[in-house]
Amino acid sequence: MSEVVVRADKLGKTFRLGLFKKRVEAVHEVSFEVERGEILGLLGPNGAGKTTTIKMLMGLIFPSRGKAEIFGRPVPTIESKRELGFLPESPYFYDYLTGQELLDLMGQLCGLDRATRTRRAGELLERVGLGPARDRPLRKYSKGMLQRIGLAQALLNDPKLVVLDEPMSGLDPIGRKEVRDLILELRAEGRTILFSTHILSDVELLCDRVAIIAQGRLLESGPLHRILSPLLLHTEIVLESAAGLELVQLDPAADVNERLRVALAEGRRVVSVTPRKESLEDLFVRELGGSVERAS
Amino acid sequence: MTAVFRIAALGVNTFREAVRNRVLYSLLLFAVALMLSALVLGKLSLHEEGRITRDVGLGGISLFGVLIAIFVGVNLVYKELDKKTVFSLVCKPIHRYELILGKFVGMVLTLAVQLAIMAAVLVAVLAVQHLPVEPGLYRAIVLCFLESVVVASVAILFSSFSSPFLSGAFTLGLFFVGRSLPELREVTSKLDLGAGGRVLDAFLYVVPDLRLFYVSGSLIDGHWVSIHGDFIAWSYVASTLVYAVGYAAVALVLASIFFSRRDFV
Repeated sequence: MSEVVVRADKLGKTFRLGLFKKRVEAVHEVSFEVERGEILGLLGPNGAGKTTTIKMLMGLIFPSRGKAEIFGRPVPTIESKRELGFLPESPYFYDYLTGQELLDLMGQLCGLDRATRTRRAGELLERVGLGPARDRPLRKYSKGMLQRIGLAQALLNDPKLVVLDEPMSGLDPIGRKEVRDLILELRAEGRTILFSTHILSDVELLCDRVAIIAQGRLLESGPLHRILSPLLLHTEIVLESAAGLELVQLDPAADVNERLRVALAEGRRVVSVTPRKESLEDLFVRELGGSVERAS
Repeated sequence: MTAVFRIAALGVNTFREAVRNRVLYSLLLFAVALMLSALVLGKLSLHEEGRITRDVGLGGISLFGVLIAIFVGVNLVYKELDKKTVFSLVCKPIHRYELILGKFVGMVLTLAVQLAIMAAVLVAVLAVQHLPVEPGLYRAIVLCFLESVVVASVAILFSSFSSPFLSGAFTLGLFFVGRSLPELREVTSKLDLGAGGRVLDAFLYVVPDLRLFYVSGSLIDGHWVSIHGDFIAWSYVASTLVYAVGYAAVALVLASIFFSRRDFV
């Protein structure tokens, strides 16, 4: 039987901003669960409420409504944070510390003894590729390096749950691939991963399940294959003739064989035939009614 | 017990931050320059080198101790929030109050080192002038340290819920009021301000009595005390230590309560 690691139960947050304490509903009643050993992607456009939801789970923001649990313990408690690793969005750390010093400080806060701290810090610095930069002050780290030292500090206490807020943001393609590979490695080690992103391809490549958030509301959640419509949207045929390439889009009811026969009879060459089912991007557009930010 | 280790770790890190902060060095250099100016002023005075050096030196230690306490104190918590370093810290298995206490421990450590360096410079200046270093001087320096600790706790309290500018203004205001407390109490006792007077009395009761730490030239237990003559005993220093610890504890409890209720957006 699956074990629930994270449970958000009707979580909501209302901020009161400005002189007149204007109410801003950042997150409406959001409910979802993350099960042990899975990767759940919290997907939504910028400003959807992903970071606020994650901050409520991490105890950085107090929910106005609802409750959250991590490993069955209420958030925020020391117990709920013991087996938790967190990478904030665009992480900032004490820039006067070196990578090694930062991990040592974080290790002390996790209650690790000196020998364990030193061993774990060494292992993690090598794992995230910062071994040669361990004695360099963080102010001299690039954005990608800060992201990697952030991942290292999140893994310092050997957490069973890793929460990553926009872990790929600001990284170059190689950096993104490295982070993706690391996330898959973490899952292979049996860890549970919750991460937020607005990059659709990351979700398609990594997630067992997704929860789609927009305008502070949970629109949909579940395994990708269940969320995405199994129905055929259309069939794309690429034909080549003396005039060049031509893309033909046929609706599901159309006779593809007949169309191909006609094209061949006209002397054209069939380059490709692609049945198109609903993609995550299609779903995103369907649910949000347009305006999709796609960074990938 | 592990909470104590975590607070110590945060304290050592705060001290490291202060040491690596160049603005702090410039304040320190300024203080050293002030000490050296005591040498020059002493030369210009007529057989009063000791008095001038002690007055300027202790004044410098007191002033810069308080300035460092305010400057660093009001920025400690704010910088955590502004630079978002707090996000990673708070998600570790620590209580939020440990962060406040760790910051305070680091601040106290910083002040102790700063004041020790300034005191060493003052003693060196007196030695260069072939002047004796009375034990009263050390007691006066300890009082300066205790005063700066109280001011630091007030700065941290304000910074737990307001901006550095407002925290600095509030703390500086309380410092001036705290230093003038006997005179202000005297004035309010002679004025009939009705309900406003009672509010003022309550306010003056809450403000830290910083005159306790600034005693030279005051009447203490029926005796005039002076850094140049009869000065207070260690027993008086011990009583002010109790006051400073008590006041700082209340300020830090309040700061922890405010900090524990904040949303880190």
